[in-house]
Amino acid sequence: MDIFTISLWVITGIAFVVSMKKDKGKTLNSMKMARSMMGNMIGEIIGILFLIGLILTFIPPETIKTVLGQSNAVFSTIIAALVGSITLIPAFVAFPLVGSLVDVGASIVPAVAFLTTLTMVGVVTFPLEKREFGLKFTLARNGLSFVFAVIIAVVMGVLI
Amino acid sequence: MKKLQRLKKNKLLVLIVLTYIGMYIFRRDKAITSFDNSMYYVIEMLEIMPVVFVLTLLIETWVPKRVIMNSFGENSGVKGYVFSFLLGSLSAGPIYVAFPVCKMLLRKGASVMNIVIILSAWAVVKVPMLANEAKFLGLKFMGIRWILTVISITIMAYLVSKIMGDSLKVVENTKESSKKILKDSDAHIAIDNKYCIGCGICARLAPDNFKVEGGKATVIDNNCLKEVKVKIDEVIDKCPAQAITYD
Repeated sequence: MDIFTISLWVITGIAFVVSMKKDKGKTLNSMKMARSMMGNMIGEIIGILFLIGLILTFIPPETIKTVLGQSNAVFSTIIAALVGSITLIPAFVAFPLVGSLVDVGASIVPAVAFLTTLTMVGVVTFPLEKREFGLKFTLARNGLSFVFAVIIAVVMGVLI
Repeated sequence: MKKLQRLKKNKLLVLIVLTYIGMYIFRRDKAITSFDNSMYYVIEMLEIMPVVFVLTLLIETWVPKRVIMNSFGENSGVKGYVFSFLLGSLSAGPIYVAFPVCKMLLRKGASVMNIVIILSAWAVVKVPMLANEAKFLGLKFMGIRWILTVISITIMAYLVSKIMGDSLKVVENTKESSKKILKDSDAHIAIDNKYCIGCGICARLAPDNFKVEGGKATVIDNNCLKEVKVKIDEVIDKCPAQAITYD
């Protein structure tokens, strides 16, 4: 375990102890909820993690580098942003997926675009949002989110 | 029936397992390589997953979200700006869970700008998620993306409020289409199925009244008299999607 993960465990451990001291019942209840939330997602999480193995075995790193690498940045970024907009997987499992692609040589620009649109732009939830806030608001928010996701991705590509 | 539903809910996992079995028969070497490749990520995930979930629920339990919500008013200003970011980043659940919450705040007079900030922060800026991101993509990556995102959200919120001209009206739903009303003797508990995320919190807190079936909560007993009502009140308060109401 790296130092970052260890410190997270320590912080969470302290928070847990403090919470237990303050209200045992409330804390135990929240732990039960944490367990049921994890139980709900574990199938999808394990599925995606083993999908990573398949991708890494069957798609050679060279291919990932050419398709998602620096040379192809503009095209792959737009595609990544579009894919992120229509997919509805929890961000939680998106990080290891994207991390694995970056590890074998994918450029971070499409990676960031995908991560940002994945959570901020919702094509699937568009009707729901429209019903609550109206068409104009929903179009403005989702459209701007898409544009800014690409901007964030490009700026990150320059900075890192 | 239950088993079938479980399979349906985990169709990705089932598909992957079948692929691995097929591969193991025909291309044993490839199956083993894939498995080994995956195990690295499985271990990394196991190291961080419990922390992320425990942290999420501890935040959900202890942050006085009600207090934050109640302090929203017409006067947005710096306080409203900071509170919007706090509310969005400290809440659990996917973005559509934020819709009913934001609508309630709109009715209370929150500005369009703050609503956009809450929705966007709810979507991308989650404290436990940032930990997860740093784990798999590095601290530097997470930090820079976080800063850029906060700046973008601020500009975006300003732009949307200019586009809307602060004229956002709350669109009232027609109850018949969006709510499942269960008729019973005394009181009715209604669950808005569109928003239910099937987290199972209601079924845990009040197992006599709620059950999760096929990924959505359903009401199995509408009895909410006296002592039971206290429980139901808690459930309504705790539901991360605010999907449960009395009708």
